[in-house]
Amino acid sequence: MTGTGAPTLFDGVANTIAVVVLLLEFLMLRAAMLRAQVRLYAIQSLVVSVLAAVVAAGRDVPELYVLAVVSFLMKAVIVPWLILRLLRDASAEIAGSGVLSVASEVLLAIVVAAFGFFTVNTLDIHSDVLPATALSVAFAVVLVAFVLIIMRRDVVSQAVGFFSLENGVSMVSLVVAAGMPLILEVAFLFDLLVAVVVFGVLMRVHHGRTRSLSTIELTRLRG
Amino acid sequence: MTTLELTPPVIQATQVLTIAVGAPLITGVIARVEAMLQGRHGPRVLQPYSDLAKLFRKESLAPRGTGPFFLAAPFVAMACYLTVPLLIPVLTSYALPLGFMGDILGGGFVLALASFVVAVAAAETGDSYAQLGSSRAKTFGAITEPVVLLVVFTVAIVTATDLPYVLGATVRSSPDQIVRPAHLLASAALFMVILFETGRIPIETHTGTTELGMIEEARPFEHSGPYFAVLKWGSMAKQLILFTLLLNVFVAPWGMAATRDVGGVLLAVVLLLAKSCVLGGVIAVIDDSFAKLRLFKITEFVAAAFLLAILAIFTLYLGGG
Amino acid sequence: MSTATLLLVVGTLPALATLLCVVLPHRAAAAVTLAVALVCLAAVIRLVPPTAHGVVALGFLRVDALSEVFLLPTGLLYAAAAAFSIGYLGDEARQAAASGGHRQRLFSRYSRLFFVGFNAFAWSMFCAPMADGLALLWIAVEVTTVVSALLVALDNTEGATEAAWKYVLIASCGLGIALLATIVMYYAGAQAMGQSYDLALDPLVAHAAQLPQTPVRLAFVLAVVGFGTKVGLFPMHTWLPDAHAEAPTPVSALLSGSLLAVSFYAILRYDEVTRITVGDRFPQGVLLVFGVASLLLASLSLLQQADLKRLLAYSSVEHMGILAIGISFGSPLAAVGVLLHVLAHAAAKGNAFLGAGVVVRVFRTKSLARIRGVLDRLPWTGPLLLASILALCAMPPFGLFRSEFDIVAGGIGAGQHTAGAILVILVTIAFLGLLGSVVRLVLTSPATAAPGREPSAWMVVPMVGLLAVLLVLGVHPPEDLSTLLSAAAGQLAGAVAR
Repeated sequence: MTGTGAPTLFDGVANTIAVVVLLLEFLMLRAAMLRAQVRLYAIQSLVVSVLAAVVAAGRDVPELYVLAVVSFLMKAVIVPWLILRLLRDASAEIAGSGVLSVASEVLLAIVVAAFGFFTVNTLDIHSDVLPATALSVAFAVVLVAFVLIIMRRDVVSQAVGFFSLENGVSMVSLVVAAGMPLILEVAFLFDLLVAVVVFGVLMRVHHGRTRSLSTIELTRLRG
Repeated sequence: MTTLELTPPVIQATQVLTIAVGAPLITGVIARVEAMLQGRHGPRVLQPYSDLAKLFRKESLAPRGTGPFFLAAPFVAMACYLTVPLLIPVLTSYALPLGFMGDILGGGFVLALASFVVAVAAAETGDSYAQLGSSRAKTFGAITEPVVLLVVFTVAIVTATDLPYVLGATVRSSPDQIVRPAHLLASAALFMVILFETGRIPIETHTGTTELGMIEEARPFEHSGPYFAVLKWGSMAKQLILFTLLLNVFVAPWGMAATRDVGGVLLAVVLLLAKSCVLGGVIAVIDDSFAKLRLFKITEFVAAAFLLAILAIFTLYLGGG
Repeated sequence: MSTATLLLVVGTLPALATLLCVVLPHRAAAAVTLAVALVCLAAVIRLVPPTAHGVVALGFLRVDALSEVFLLPTGLLYAAAAAFSIGYLGDEARQAAASGGHRQRLFSRYSRLFFVGFNAFAWSMFCAPMADGLALLWIAVEVTTVVSALLVALDNTEGATEAAWKYVLIASCGLGIALLATIVMYYAGAQAMGQSYDLALDPLVAHAAQLPQTPVRLAFVLAVVGFGTKVGLFPMHTWLPDAHAEAPTPVSALLSGSLLAVSFYAILRYDEVTRITVGDRFPQGVLLVFGVASLLLASLSLLQQADLKRLLAYSSVEHMGILAIGISFGSPLAAVGVLLHVLAHAAAKGNAFLGAGVVVRVFRTKSLARIRGVLDRLPWTGPLLLASILALCAMPPFGLFRSEFDIVAGGIGAGQHTAGAILVILVTIAFLGLLGSVVRLVLTSPATAAPGREPSAWMVVPMVGLLAVLLVLGVHPPEDLSTLLSAAAGQLAGAVAR
């Protein structure tokens, strides 16, 4: 077997940042405290914004600086702040235990992430902005976020899972669609903000009705 | 000015000596840093040497029913620990003759043999603590060893060989090699394995604390006198070997002798010890800032290391590592 | 009035109504909503002739034959549901006004939220088909999700809260995937048209033949899964029965008849491009799998359903499955059938939900086992509900008969014998389930001999209107509409001819 040549410095940095985002997703999977989870989400959003800034600097796409700033403000500041405020009002601390144990969840997530990695890799999608590895990692983030949403049994984790899914999608868009008109990217972000508000409203409604953030009780509607 | 050149066998012997003699120093430094972080004065840096010397002078007892294996184990283990420095780059950046005797995997096997021997000796005693320690060590080892294997695979894919010297050279060659995710992930995974192997804080409270959650500390429970001294010395040597592996192969393969010049080799000795002290300091800080994990949570810790290692392989496979 | 102005009317009036409803009291809000809805309906109908022969565009807004077909259900149901809500909220309004005080305040808050959300929901569903570009389309569909999730939660019962949470979570995740589809499609488009291109529809279709194949395939699958979540395709349909059953009735009608169609429209847009790029087989295969799975699940669920509104919701899943299968046949006749089916389904399902709403209002339960003798107690709603269920079962002379006949005939004609046979069998099973349940509840003799009375004329008139539409579609669709459907089907089957 021959060794693989090292990627360029830019690719290495970009890939590393992408991998950090994935690792943060895994950390969210095992975070037991709701606050910790929201904080991890904030950090993840920050890292995604940094990736946007890195692309902007490395590939000379000045528009992306704006995107980086907007996404930082919205996803690393406003959204976590909104959720933390909700948590404070609900005075809930600990996430309900998931469907599986943490270790099994992580193993499942590894399998799912591997699936994402290799399927996307076979698609042979190349971009001149970021290395294809970042794309695979981004898809893995999306898939692990799904594991998080499905396995967790409380509204906050599920919502945070959805928001981090959106982080994964943002990364995909950085890789394959860095040149997408800024107005669209910002529109996507504002849409996210609207979604956050609605999630917040529904979380409040849910909490007001059941006095808890758990979704275990939500089994009335079936069939 | 004439420079004194050392022959390769001498340098190789110096590598072994550095590990053997330097190991207690690093342990002393870690203990001292930790004490300072906790606001204590702490023991002298050279205290481990005195401890060892004292133990060597003491009488030794063996539990009833144990055979010669029990007594031989410490020496076998120590022999293993002193073999490994022949294989890895301790002082020189170029490969010494015996360096080709075994690759990382070979070194890993020798270390595993040492650990196995100690565990079997502990199991032979019939002492509940010693047996607990060895069974736990082997249980979690079942997950850490795949991690080490994956790290080795990473190295193998990166360098097309699994010789530690080559990886060190690759890392030195350009900054591109350092920021590549595979390298960072593998280094992080190895670091976590080292925390596990040396019995540091997320895994167990260490040195002289006797409690139910111990692993590494429990195994030499029944040894005494010189046998105990050799075991302790061996685990200090193991710690330094692992540090050296991490530093000279993965994280900071700089400051090693590039020639056979005696001054360069001596400088390399000093630098290695200095780097190890820094790493020891980092570990002491970790020791001081985190709580010990519950025993059942240790699987999560090693699972995390596993995750890092497997991601390293994935990213490499995808061609972007 | 020029045709471009019509776009402006449809694109802005509901938004204006939304803003007005924030400040207006209950009665005025209801009147404004109804007026705006009727104006929009008229505008949408006026758009039929020009769009049948070409594209009407204004800035970001662009309506061609295909979009027009999907504007019609929203226009129709917006007007019908607006009229229905007057009756729906009328009782409570009177009671609240009578008791005054706290109850009055609660009701006016409820009514304000309802009308604001209702208009915003209709507005977003008008915007989606009019949006010129896949990115704008995604944004509009996302807006429909968030607005409708709030509407589902509006009743603030245990079931409504649960349904709203499931809905917003599942649908948002689905739309996350749809966003991936949008991005991948952008990537594909950028390969052919350069980076600065903004996903507008016309250039995309014009360049579709030069797009790279793999990304387009990926985008299509992601779009079917993502938007399919909102269409209610199996296995992403799980939110649908809950949300449809728990939402206020006028919202249920819009959700089922209009929202599902709008989401299906998004899939069709991807389908249109994908067919040109990679040929017919791939998109047909994907849609066939999802369609058959949805139809199978829905028809089996219909057989053992205990809740009236859930029954209708599963019937929506069934019909969405039929649409997917119909598109997968890839024949122009089946495509005309599918588009007619969208319109007829909107009218029939809207009618059925409105009827069910009246029944639930009068009997105070959704349980099929406890509702008896609807025909006796509700002299208007009973027959209307029965007729709409018969229509949903594709009985002549209603529109769904014609459309399903076209679909099956198109499929057989295109050589899809197996799929055609499966379609017919599953639709028959669904027919048994649906009709069996409803006939029992309509035709059995009532438990009490209490003479029936319709709660409000406002609730009956829209049902009569929708039934008339169904009959027209079934007996003799207007000439203009037929031209429109053929033109739209031509867009869909354009690749077939190629």
